Amino acid sequence: MNTNLLKPGLAAYTGLFLLFLYGPLIVLAILSFQGPNGGPQFPVQEWSTYWYQHLFGATDTSRVSQLPVGESLLRSLVLAFMTTVVSTVLGVMSAEAFRVRFKGSGPAFYLIILGMMVPGVLVGLGMALLSNFIGVSRAWWGTAFVLHVVYTYPFAFLVMLAIFNRFDRTVEEASLSLGVSPAQTFRRVTFPIIFPGVLSAMLFSFTLSYDEFSRTLFTIGRELTLPLSIYGTFSVEIYPNLFAFGVLTTVFSFTLLVVYGLLMKRFTAVKSGSYKGQEEAA
Amino acid sequence: MTTVTTDMPDTTETSPAAAREANERRRALMLLSPGLLWMILFMVLPMLMVIYVSFWTQTTFAVNDTLTTASWERFLSSATYLGAIGTTLRIWAIVLVATLVVGYPVALFIGLFVKNQTVQTALLVACVIPFWTSFLIRVIAWRPMLGTEGAINTILMNLGLINEPLTFLLFSEFSVLVGMTQIYCVFMVGPITFMISRIDESTIEAARDLGASFGTIFRRIVLPLSMPGVIVGAIFVSVMVLGEFATAASLSGRKVNLLGNIIVSQVGSLKWAFAAVAGVVLTIIITAVITLALRVVDLRKEM
Repeated sequence: MNTNLLKPGLAAYTGLFLLFLYGPLIVLAILSFQGPNGGPQFPVQEWSTYWYQHLFGATDTSRVSQLPVGESLLRSLVLAFMTTVVSTVLGVMSAEAFRVRFKGSGPAFYLIILGMMVPGVLVGLGMALLSNFIGVSRAWWGTAFVLHVVYTYPFAFLVMLAIFNRFDRTVEEASLSLGVSPAQTFRRVTFPIIFPGVLSAMLFSFTLSYDEFSRTLFTIGRELTLPLSIYGTFSVEIYPNLFAFGVLTTVFSFTLLVVYGLLMKRFTAVKSGSYKGQEEAA
Repeated sequence: MTTVTTDMPDTTETSPAAAREANERRRALMLLSPGLLWMILFMVLPMLMVIYVSFWTQTTFAVNDTLTTASWERFLSSATYLGAIGTTLRIWAIVLVATLVVGYPVALFIGLFVKNQTVQTALLVACVIPFWTSFLIRVIAWRPMLGTEGAINTILMNLGLINEPLTFLLFSEFSVLVGMTQIYCVFMVGPITFMISRIDESTIEAARDLGASFGTIFRRIVLPLSMPGVIVGAIFVSVMVLGEFATAASLSGRKVNLLGNIIVSQVGSLKWAFAAVAGVVLTIIITAVITLALRVVDLRKEM
C-alpha cells in the first residue's frame, strides 16, 4: 500500500496548513515596516520603522491620524484584570462543587458551558436591552464587565474541572482526618496542587477578555476598550500603523505567554525541591 | 448511593453516610450558587429580554413595550432579512465543511503519525500561537493578503501567471470564507487531534498484523474513534460562525450580510425590536444545531 508516501504527504500538507495560518500575519508584519509614503499594500517602498513611531506619536506631522489606543489600552487591561479575578474565583468554586455528584449537576454544567457558547452579539444585545429596560447606563466596568465574566468563567471552570478530575482526593482526606480544618486543608493541600490550573485559568480569562469584541460592542457605552477602538478604524481607510499595532500586540501577548511559562516552570521546580527536602528530613 | 439510605430502617438518627452526603450536597450548592446566579442574571435574563423585546412596538427612533407581532411580520416578509438567514446558513455550512476538510489531515498527522511527544506538542502550539494575536488583527491581515495589490496578486503577477490582478479575492464572499476558515479551523484541529492521539497504539498494530490496509484501519478504527472530536469541533465552529459579523463586515465590503450583521446595523439605527427579532431567529438556529450535535455526543463525558 502507499503508506510510505502517506506520512511525508501529510507532513507536507501540515506545512502548507501552517503557512495558511501564518501567511497573513507574516504579510502584515512585513508591511508594518512600510515607508512613510507607502500604503497598506505592496510594494514596500522603503524599509522603515516610521509607522511604529507614528503609533507613539513620535512623528512630526502626518497625513494619517494617530490610532486612538492610549486610554482604551489601559481600560482593556483593567477590565481584563477584573474579569480574570472574578472568573477564576467562580471557576475554582464551581469546579470544586462538581467533585461530588449532586442532583441537577447536568443542567448546572450546561448552564455554565452555555456562557462560552452563546454568540457575543446575542448576549450583548440582550444586555443592552436589559440595561435600557431597568435604566442602568452602559459602561465598560459594568455591563461589559459582567458579560466578559459570562464568557471567561466557563473556560476557567473547564480548566479547573480537568485539574480536579486528575487530583487524588485521598491526600485531602488524609489532611482532614488528621484534624486540619477544611479552610487550612484548602490553603495548605488543595491550593498548591491546583495552582498550575489556576494559573492556566487566569491566562485564559485574561487573554479572552483582553481580546473580547462582540460581547463588548453593544454594552460598552461611551468609553471604548482596545478592540473597539481598533474596529472603529476599519470603517475608514486603513494604514500601516494598524499593522504596526498588530505586531506590537502580538509581541505583548507573547511576553504574557512567556511570563506564564516561567511562572509554571518556577512553580514546578519549587515543588520538586520541597519534596527533595522532605525526603532528606525523613 | 441514595438507595442505601432508603434501605435503612427509618429511625430517629440518620446514618453517618447520609448525613455526610447531605452535607456534601449542601456544600456543593453553596459553592455553585454564585456562579449560577451570575449566569442567570447576566446571560439567561438578557436572552429572555431579547425574546420579550422582539414583541415590542418599534417606532422610528424608539421602542415601547406595547406588545405586537409587527416586527416579526416585517422580518418574515422581508426578502433582505430572509436572505440573511439563507446567507448565514450557507456560509456556516461551507465554513464547517472547509474547516473539517482543511483540519482533519493535520489532526491525523499530529495525532497518529507524530510519535515524538515533544514534536506533537510543538506542532499543536504552532497551531494555537496565532490565537495570541488579536482576533480583529487576524481578520484585517487578510486585506493585504488578498487585495488587488496584495501578496497573492503580487506573487501571481510576478510569476507571470496572471496579467490583471484577481479582484474576486477581496471584498467578496470568497474572502469571508477564507478568513473564517483560517480563524476557526484550529477549533477543529484541536479536538480531533486529541481524540486521535488517545487511540490505543495496540489496536492499530493488531489491525495491521491481521493484514488490514491503512485505508481499512482509517475507516474502521481511526475515523469512528475520532468522531467525538469532529462533533466537538463542529459545535465550536458552528456557534462561532453562526454568531459572526466582524469578519463579514471587514472583508466582504458589505456584500455579505449575516444575521449578526443585521443585528449590528439595526442596533446602529436604534431599531431594537428588529434587532431582537433577528436575535431570536439566530438563537433558534444555533439551538437547533447544538441540540442536533449533542444527540450524537455527550459533551460532558468527552471533556
